[in-house]
Amino acid sequence: MSAQGMASPITVPRARPAWLESFVGQLLALLASFGIALLIGSLLILAYGENPIEVYRSIFDASLGSADGLGYVFAIATPLIFSALAVSVCFKGGMFNIGVEGQYLVAMIAAAVAELNLDFLPGFLLVPAVLLAAMFGGMIWAAIPAVLKVKRGAHEVVTTIMLNAIALSLVGWALNGPLKYNDAPEGAFVDLRSNVFPDKGLVGDLGSVFGVTPGAHLSWLVFLAIAAAIIVWFLIRRTRLGYEARAVGSSPGSAKAGGVSIGSTQIRLFLISGALAGLIGMQQILADRGYLPLNYVPLLGFLGIGVAFLGQNNPIGIIFAAILWGILSRGEVALQISSQVPREFIIILQGVLILTVVIIYQIARRRLAARQLQQAGMAGELGDSDAPEESAGPRGPEDTGAEALEPVEEKRI
Amino acid sequence: MPFTDIAVAVQISFTYFTVFYLTGLGGLFSERSGIVNIGLEGLMIVGTVTGAFGVRFFTDTVGLGSVWGPILGLLFGALCGAIFAGVHAVATITFRVDHIVSGVVINLVAIGLARFLSSAFFNGQSTQSDPGGPHLARLDIPGLSALPGGLDRAFEGLSPMVIVAALMVIPVWYSLNRLRWGLRLRSCGENPEATRSLGVSVPLYRYQGVLLSGAFAGLSGAFLAAEIIGNWREGQTLGLGFIALAALIISNWNPIRLMFFAWLFGFAFAIPLRLQDAPVISLLPEQFIRMIPYIVTIVAIAGFVGRVRPPAAAGRAYEGAGGS
Amino acid sequence: MTGGDGAGGSATPPLVVLEHITKRFPGVLANDEVDLELRAGEVHALIGENGAGKSTLMRVLYGMYPADGGRIVVRGQEVRISSPRDAIANGIGMVHQHFVLVDPFTVTENIILGEEGGERLDMDAAQQRVAELAESYAFRVDPGAVVEELSVGEEQRVEILKALYRGVEILILDEPTAVLTPSETTDLFGNLRKLREAGRTIVFISHKLDEVMEIADRITVLRRGRVVGETRPSETSKATLAEMMVGRPVLFRLDKPSVEIGEPVLKVEDLTGEGKLNGVSLEVRAGEILGVAGVEGNGQRELAESLIGLRTPESGTIELEGAAIGGRPVFDIRNAGVGYIPEDRHEQGLVLTMSLWENSVLGRQDDTDFSGSLGVLYIRKIKDLAARLVKLFDIRARSVDVTASTLSGGNQQKLILARELETDPKLLIAAQPTRGLDVGAIEFVWKEILDQKAAGRGVLLISAELDEIYALSDRIVTLFEGKITGEFPPDAPPEQVGIGMLGRAPQEAA
Repeated sequence: MSAQGMASPITVPRARPAWLESFVGQLLALLASFGIALLIGSLLILAYGENPIEVYRSIFDASLGSADGLGYVFAIATPLIFSALAVSVCFKGGMFNIGVEGQYLVAMIAAAVAELNLDFLPGFLLVPAVLLAAMFGGMIWAAIPAVLKVKRGAHEVVTTIMLNAIALSLVGWALNGPLKYNDAPEGAFVDLRSNVFPDKGLVGDLGSVFGVTPGAHLSWLVFLAIAAAIIVWFLIRRTRLGYEARAVGSSPGSAKAGGVSIGSTQIRLFLISGALAGLIGMQQILADRGYLPLNYVPLLGFLGIGVAFLGQNNPIGIIFAAILWGILSRGEVALQISSQVPREFIIILQGVLILTVVIIYQIARRRLAARQLQQAGMAGELGDSDAPEESAGPRGPEDTGAEALEPVEEKRI
Repeated sequence: MPFTDIAVAVQISFTYFTVFYLTGLGGLFSERSGIVNIGLEGLMIVGTVTGAFGVRFFTDTVGLGSVWGPILGLLFGALCGAIFAGVHAVATITFRVDHIVSGVVINLVAIGLARFLSSAFFNGQSTQSDPGGPHLARLDIPGLSALPGGLDRAFEGLSPMVIVAALMVIPVWYSLNRLRWGLRLRSCGENPEATRSLGVSVPLYRYQGVLLSGAFAGLSGAFLAAEIIGNWREGQTLGLGFIALAALIISNWNPIRLMFFAWLFGFAFAIPLRLQDAPVISLLPEQFIRMIPYIVTIVAIAGFVGRVRPPAAAGRAYEGAGGS
Repeated sequence: MTGGDGAGGSATPPLVVLEHITKRFPGVLANDEVDLELRAGEVHALIGENGAGKSTLMRVLYGMYPADGGRIVVRGQEVRISSPRDAIANGIGMVHQHFVLVDPFTVTENIILGEEGGERLDMDAAQQRVAELAESYAFRVDPGAVVEELSVGEEQRVEILKALYRGVEILILDEPTAVLTPSETTDLFGNLRKLREAGRTIVFISHKLDEVMEIADRITVLRRGRVVGETRPSETSKATLAEMMVGRPVLFRLDKPSVEIGEPVLKVEDLTGEGKLNGVSLEVRAGEILGVAGVEGNGQRELAESLIGLRTPESGTIELEGAAIGGRPVFDIRNAGVGYIPEDRHEQGLVLTMSLWENSVLGRQDDTDFSGSLGVLYIRKIKDLAARLVKLFDIRARSVDVTASTLSGGNQQKLILARELETDPKLLIAAQPTRGLDVGAIEFVWKEILDQKAAGRGVLLISAELDEIYALSDRIVTLFEGKITGEFPPDAPPEQVGIGMLGRAPQEAA
């Protein structure tokens, strides 16, 4: 079998490893999208008659300009990291866990129950027990849509969203009923909440170590979040489960033909996702409030989806994306103080950022795929290349071999 | 009056039917053209805030009176929904972003956008507008509103939009099945390659589908805020957009079937509002009663899937992490 | 029977001329200064092996790709064809190998899409027009039928009618008989002759030399993007054509090793399921290659999938060396010693977004060699495995880290083959193993399959290519509508096997 494509041997340029290609490319893409988002944002700022540079400067000052600011940034990022990790784990397996929100709520209920009933345990056992209870709560709530999907084919987008709404009511019921506080002095008016957790069951403040105000509620949970990201990375890239998950997410037919059990893989992924989602609320109730409030922070689950895509579903990327998100969120404070631009500008900016990132990554990935194919074409053979001959249908004139990769590339996250 | 409670529940169900049906129709056009749109909730949210503003604006500020004011206000909500849907359209059609990702972003941004617009429209109030906004005069359905035993309550005091929504089935069905436009739109959703190979522009029809979904969902949101609740409040959409999506799926993307399921889910919502004292239900704690419609949806979805068949191109997106 | 009797004499001026057409893809020169002339009222065959550039050339003519060089002249005028719409406007239509029909629509809806004749659809009038058109060319088709329920042959007729409805004079058919039964092929040829009589031109892209010799008036042979010859059936032979296609004398037979045939490795009895399998019974013994011949769509896919565990049959038994494996999970069946070369290497073979080395271990990632008890993968060892497979099977890739999607079809198939054979399975199921491969890759795959036989293993070969069946099999069976309709020795005349493929037992042949 010989078949050279061209008359003379082609010198193949010394191959750069694929990961480098994509890493540099991805970094450029990230910077480009950030720039574009800021640009779009400045249009809005100008509409308010203000100077974009001033506004952006005050935003970044509030978050990066002081130790306090950084403390807030990391405190905001911590739950988002857990949330985004939860979403990305399922996504690797080709599924959308939009139920992170509900899993987070149920986990908080479980954690509250543990706090208030296991308070006989010493502190160094209580806190891990509470964390485990939270993870367990999240897993249970994630198990429901997972089983419905695998056994009944119910699409997880709809079931998880319904479960989110149910979880919302569940929290309301719990706080109005079994978990309702009874530790407030007679006649005092208190926002609806659970009993205050024992001190030894709380997570210590990290801020004092770095000169950050305790008001930021920076706790060592941030290390747990980073550790979780590393563990998830390891799980996806270096274990059987991660391997099978990626196969199922990308090519379920081939995975099945290779003996992988799709249903079992999907359920396991959902459970891991639920466990991660369970940790979202810990920053709030163990480091910040010290009890389960009715006015907990909403939407952390949904925001996790945004952060996951901002970080391209990559655990390390997610850490950076969460920090970036925290920087912008913290900047809201600056807007309130020194600008006419309403604070809601920030969330619009964040939304625009997600869109530009996703779009630009899409473009960058396709360029990369085209280039990979080209390099492969030069080192390979003429003749039985799939791209030009076996395309299944009409292709437009602008489509080269890269088009053959397209349906594949869209799944590659 | 023995049937008053049930009748009022039915009346409420008609209201929710309107919301679900209009939103569902929006989803229908988008998905039949091949673009999955789970951002219906976000589009509704945009409709609520702009609709609440619009009816006040056109009725009071522009002074068009209590018929044309609300009508233009509702249409304004529809228009804004369509514009916002343009973002989803550009992202998914021109840039081929994953449909579900884009839909989620739409939902996220809508929340912030609504607050943003609210503080602009309603004097800095970012989470609600003043109550008691103008709305269309209520109707009674002739004949049925003379039923005895309290049943008449079901057909009294309805917003005209309920009738409009119910009648929508006719132009929708006709345009999909009897017009060239509908044939082409459906073929984009079933087999875009075949469509393209015959010289029909797939992006053109998909854009139309998505913009229509924005218009319908926006109208639905405007209806909710302006006609039913009377003002805008953050969070008033309550996941209704997602339930409309579920209704759409269960009705197999068929506008006639959708009428039934939209009403069915509407009735499920009426239960916690009106039938809390009914025999079995009254035994449940209040918050559990509120869960009923959502549980009903899950049961329906888990029971019906496998027997529904999405438009082929959209279906690929539903299978996860992909789409065309 | 050689040659068609068309009116394509040299006196007729050419209808379409392709001059010096050149087309490049990244790293591949698909068409190299190709000249082609098409005349009215002829069937012109365009032949070459996979990758020779014949489909590409026609796609350039049809406006799907822009040419990098050369020009197209239609009826004496140079034209620019930059989209299928342009092509159709110039009277050129194309029917692809993979049909583009909207399944839930009716025949008529599919045909009129894009040419509806007005905003309001008048389906009755349209159906009438379609019925008349079909009748004028003796096409049997029901305008009101839903495409999803049509047979492959009927679908093809719809595709052709689509083109005719738009008034094309030149009809390009890309590998039209690949999916037809012999009787459907006869029907098609009848239709083509009628079209030729009516003055139409047919471009018939194929690699099936028997058919080309039967229906074509003129034949153009492409090899590696260049025209290597133009001739007529009366002036040439299958062997000559094959040699022109490949550039050297082609071996239609490889040497089959003689091996003692042992006990049955696979026993299938009365396998039934899902309407596609209607009681299949067969047996593969050690050291034997059983060839299952048949046109696609008669249950081949379902048979292969049932054997590997991707499907659970409704009834019947499957035994591997005496142990029942029917209905067991894929994992267990594989571990029992079954290897699987799927007919669709993208859907059931490789995970294209993963790297070469990751794909090389698919199915064996649980092995203690490749992962630990906690689930950690031994990446170094897997990469070593991959490197070994690459070397053994001569897989052309820059490194084991390349993404599988960048491999050519032949290399992808080699990777699958390497992976499956590495486990030394007792039974190898090979479904359409050389589809889409060029001759060199085909020879390689055939040799590997014969090596399995030589090693005393059993091979179940499922193929729609009779050449392949004959080259490899020790015994041949025919599969038609989910049943085995005949068993033949390896030297049985093809006509007999063809009859089995049609569903009649050999003794019943007239």
